[in-house]
Amino acid sequence: MTLINLALKDLRLLARDRMSAFFVFGFPIMMGLFFGMILGGFSSGTRGKMEIAVIDLDQSPMSKRFVESLQKNDNIKVVTDELEAAKESVRKARRTGLLVIPEKFGESAGIFWEPQPELQLGMDPSRAAESAMMEGFVMQAVAELMGERFRDPSAFLPSISKAKESFLNNESTDAVTKQVGGLFFGSLEAMVNSAGQLQDKTETADGGFAPSLQFANIKPLDISRQLDPDSPEAQVKKIRSRWDISFPQAMLWGILGCIAGFSVSIAKERSQGTLVRLQAAPLSRMQIMLGKALACFLATLLVMVLMVALGLLLKMQPGSYLKLAVVGVCTATCFVGIMMTLSVLGKTEQSVAGVGWAFNMVMAMLGGCMIPVMFMPAIFQKISVISPVRWAILGIEGAIWRDFSWSELFLPMAIMVSVGVVGFAVGTTIMMRRNG
Amino acid sequence: MITARGLEKSYGQNKAVDGLSFDIAKGETFGLLGPNGAGKSTTIHLLIGLLRPDRGEVRVMGGDPWIAQTRQQIGVAPQALSLYEELTGQENLTFFAGTYGLSAARIRDRVTWALAFAGLEDRARHRVSTYSGGMKRRLNIAVALVHEPQLLLLDEPTVGVDPQSRNHIFESIEKLQKQGLTILYTTHYMEEARRLCDRIAIVDRGKLLALDTVDGLIRQYGGTSHVVGEVLDCPSNLQLPGKMVEQCLRFASDQPLEEVARLTAGGVRFQTLQINSPDLESVFLKLTGRSLRD
Repeated sequence: MTLINLALKDLRLLARDRMSAFFVFGFPIMMGLFFGMILGGFSSGTRGKMEIAVIDLDQSPMSKRFVESLQKNDNIKVVTDELEAAKESVRKARRTGLLVIPEKFGESAGIFWEPQPELQLGMDPSRAAESAMMEGFVMQAVAELMGERFRDPSAFLPSISKAKESFLNNESTDAVTKQVGGLFFGSLEAMVNSAGQLQDKTETADGGFAPSLQFANIKPLDISRQLDPDSPEAQVKKIRSRWDISFPQAMLWGILGCIAGFSVSIAKERSQGTLVRLQAAPLSRMQIMLGKALACFLATLLVMVLMVALGLLLKMQPGSYLKLAVVGVCTATCFVGIMMTLSVLGKTEQSVAGVGWAFNMVMAMLGGCMIPVMFMPAIFQKISVISPVRWAILGIEGAIWRDFSWSELFLPMAIMVSVGVVGFAVGTTIMMRRNG
Repeated sequence: MITARGLEKSYGQNKAVDGLSFDIAKGETFGLLGPNGAGKSTTIHLLIGLLRPDRGEVRVMGGDPWIAQTRQQIGVAPQALSLYEELTGQENLTFFAGTYGLSAARIRDRVTWALAFAGLEDRARHRVSTYSGGMKRRLNIAVALVHEPQLLLLDEPTVGVDPQSRNHIFESIEKLQKQGLTILYTTHYMEEARRLCDRIAIVDRGKLLALDTVDGLIRQYGGTSHVVGEVLDCPSNLQLPGKMVEQCLRFASDQPLEEVARLTAGGVRFQTLQINSPDLESVFLKLTGRSLRD
């Protein structure tokens, strides 16, 4: 009863201190939503598109088909524009890049024996990763043009005949090579003619679309199960919602805010004199510390419950509520212990707050509160094992989307409980010695 | 009620309490008078088990204050306002009453009493941060009394208080005295000690310099009274107790009123008369060679 009285007092004080309440409840919600939106690309159809300005100097049917091909790409938003205006928009970061389609593009694009027209791609220098992606998308569109050539024999056959004639009339080519080249161009003409006839028949019979000419019948293959299960790609495959990854992080921000607030509260009790009153009451030192710990524990659980509730509203899909609850209790235990140690590392509110936030920020950075551990360089992934935040996030993610079994959850849970017990023991011992 | 024997407590090289011994009887109001840094607050912390003495022994109602049960009957109003500013007065009282294990019904009764004691009934549901300094001081004392202790320790309870609140506090303490509560009162204001305390211990630099009633201390250490009078008429044959220069008579006496009465009976007529009697300030000056407010 005494412990509940002590804990309720601290929770009431937390609720009345707007700044602390913001860091415990408001800040993590902001972080959760912020990172959730940033990480939106992991879920389907929600990633922001690259806006590319296309300057078509050719205006041929082929260049238009090329632009249509780019427009079909879900990752790009294509906007036609004038060159100077497009350059200005990229310079001012309103668009990701620009693509200039040169004159006479349609004459040779997609014809593999002709020199390919020179496309000019200008990208925002600060978006290197997207630049590489864009090059890939352009290559893909050019390859599709090649298919288009085969689908339109009336347009493609004159080009083949012209190339064949040019090749055979070349005096520097020897007889054997001319014979092989002639066979190749003859076969190519026959293949394009066949494709045209097949297209005509299909149109006559069904009135539908002609079958696309494909070099090979390639079907997409889900290779996620063959990936290294620890690789980011394999892990990302398991994520069902962007909030699955942002809300565990957000919970930890809330928990860190919580322990920062509670660790200062002991120093605050000391500075405002209420600790004297508590110690003068018939309470043991252990009861006073347990009261603080209980308040912090309840606040931590409340943060997690609120974040899960908010996550559920945003379609977060926890794999197991039971596992999430058990991990939540272990997480709260861990950070309550850390709070107890932090609270006695300084004697004034300022010193405790300084030590607390320095500790929290390092643990948060290493533990994946800012950048998920799986996206960190290998060396940082190794170092991150020292951060309780990492184990907490791993445990929560294990319950939400990693589909951890109980045995897989055991390690993070055991580490968290151990940290909590040790932290509580250290904090209580220092406090008792200091007052003894 | 309280027995302290040879108490010593040091903070590093600084000896805050140096061999303090005293007894406080049930129902007595005992004053610890001394300047800032004399060791008064440290003594209180030793009496409520907040600190362990380096040497010596403390017994409160026969028990060791280090043990929680002993502290059940002690109420303490620390010098620093020990209140939760973001809670209301009522919430502070309710919370601290709860730490003494009172039942819910008893807490309600005692909180109502304590609010009336502090004169804060109409501000009960306001946050302490909105209270004036005097209201906070009164609440600070009320919190110490909310669990109905047998022993009340008041550590400089009137520091920073306006005259109106100070008077309210004095009247409240006098009511508690009439109810038989044992009170330990620390102060560096001699007028407070004189008004409220049955006995006074004068402490300085952790040492007990003197312990007696106010009158006893003045008698022992106060010295003589000084009289200054402007004389209108003085019979030439009357023997004067001091020198008269330009119709101004100055003399020292242990019994100034009796001496003045003898002079007026002998025919001396005074235009003005000023008697400077020794007080606790003089006692402190005599004992330490410096003023209480130094």
